[in-house]
Amino acid sequence: MTTVLLLMLLAVGAYLVAVIEDWVYRGHVQLSAPLIAGIALLGRESVVPRKPDRIFFETGPVLLLISAVLAATVIPLTPGLIVTDLATGALFFNAALVYVLVALLMAGWGPDGAYAMIGGWRFLGQLIAYAMLIVMPITAVAMRAESLLTMQIVASQSDIWNILYQPVGFVLFFVAAMALAFLPPFDLPTAKGELAGGVEAEYTGARLAIFRLGRLALVITLAAATVTFYLGGWHGPWLPTWAWIAIKILAVTSIMLLAGRYVPRIRESDLLGWCWKLGIPLALLNIFLVGVLALVFP
Amino acid sequence: MTAQALFIGFFGLAAVWFGIVVFRTHSMVRSALALLFSQTALGAMFLSMQAEFLGVLQIMMMATEMSIMAIFMVMFMMDPGGLGKMDMTHQRRLSLGTGVVAFATAVTIALFVDWGPITSSAPDATQQTVDLGLELLGRSMLIFETAGITILTAMIAATAVAIQPAAGGSRHGR
Repeated sequence: MTTVLLLMLLAVGAYLVAVIEDWVYRGHVQLSAPLIAGIALLGRESVVPRKPDRIFFETGPVLLLISAVLAATVIPLTPGLIVTDLATGALFFNAALVYVLVALLMAGWGPDGAYAMIGGWRFLGQLIAYAMLIVMPITAVAMRAESLLTMQIVASQSDIWNILYQPVGFVLFFVAAMALAFLPPFDLPTAKGELAGGVEAEYTGARLAIFRLGRLALVITLAAATVTFYLGGWHGPWLPTWAWIAIKILAVTSIMLLAGRYVPRIRESDLLGWCWKLGIPLALLNIFLVGVLALVFP
Repeated sequence: MTAQALFIGFFGLAAVWFGIVVFRTHSMVRSALALLFSQTALGAMFLSMQAEFLGVLQIMMMATEMSIMAIFMVMFMMDPGGLGKMDMTHQRRLSLGTGVVAFATAVTIALFVDWGPITSSAPDATQQTVDLGLELLGRSMLIFETAGITILTAMIAATAVAIQPAAGGSRHGR
């Protein structure tokens, strides 16, 4: 039952992300835009390129969607609404999202197209940059909660949210989450105007629809994770818990999407340089500070 | 218990099957990803055996490692797409012999070692994570730290070897 509810909420969330994305790029809200675009995609012929690696070509988009949905299963939405409260929840979240990389490699390699392949391998470089900045801030979050249980992580923020307790970790995680979801300015694997869509370039019709849906689900999952790890989950005054989590998730999603509009696309080498020379030392500092804080104010 | 045994068997067979696919395919990327799914199946076996932390860790680590291996295989092999039907096996007799000997050794060890009394159920996953954490920061700390530092040193050394000496003091990597 919870699983069905989560899938429905993910679908609604993905739809809203599509509306917000449309609003960010075109400047006006049109609630029916994703529906029309979806119907148009499903109506189009789904072309299979010449000499594809058929297994990868078909698996890539589906795996992207599956890994986003799996990651969402350990995110608690309200005190009772979580699909599985795994003892290793915060770790499982990472494990599921690593398969975004595998999905993009498959989608890049599968169609036998130059732009797609460059996009796929680019994302591997991107992972080398952002992966540590996802894992290390989560380590600090788990240190404060003294648990990998996501429910416990939310409970640990009942007094003071992690965004105030460990602001450095929040900034790093937020940026890394945008890179994981290959949102602009980190849209190196798709890179419209440069790689002609990259990993998306050779996909059409229903396959492209699944790919886009997977990406939207990924964005909403990452926004929900940001809320769980840093913004106190469902905690908040006056309003009921479900309202708070919905408001927070939509706000985080909007900021993630808006940020990309005003920043030019980053270079792969700059991304790697900044992540490793600036991001990782900051993440280590964050872990150290949280350790000291946890010892001083237990 | 029966369901558990069935799942372990299923994922075990999946691991072996993907292991075979590694050598049966001609494509480097397929080969690398087949190895990934073989390792993922191993992770799923750990999960079936109620070793949650180990299983999740295995599933997470292998995805990155095998993807990185894939790009190296594509870079260094002359026929990455497998369109030339390159054979993935070499030194057949030696590898077959080694494989048979290793398999026989593993089976012998599994059958003839006294494993002690078999526990019917593992402690719950939260307790396992706590125990593992205490173990890693206690008795096993020296071993893990030594291994970690060794790997880090090797990585730095490999990177240092790979960087070309800067010509005329210009910045590289741009």
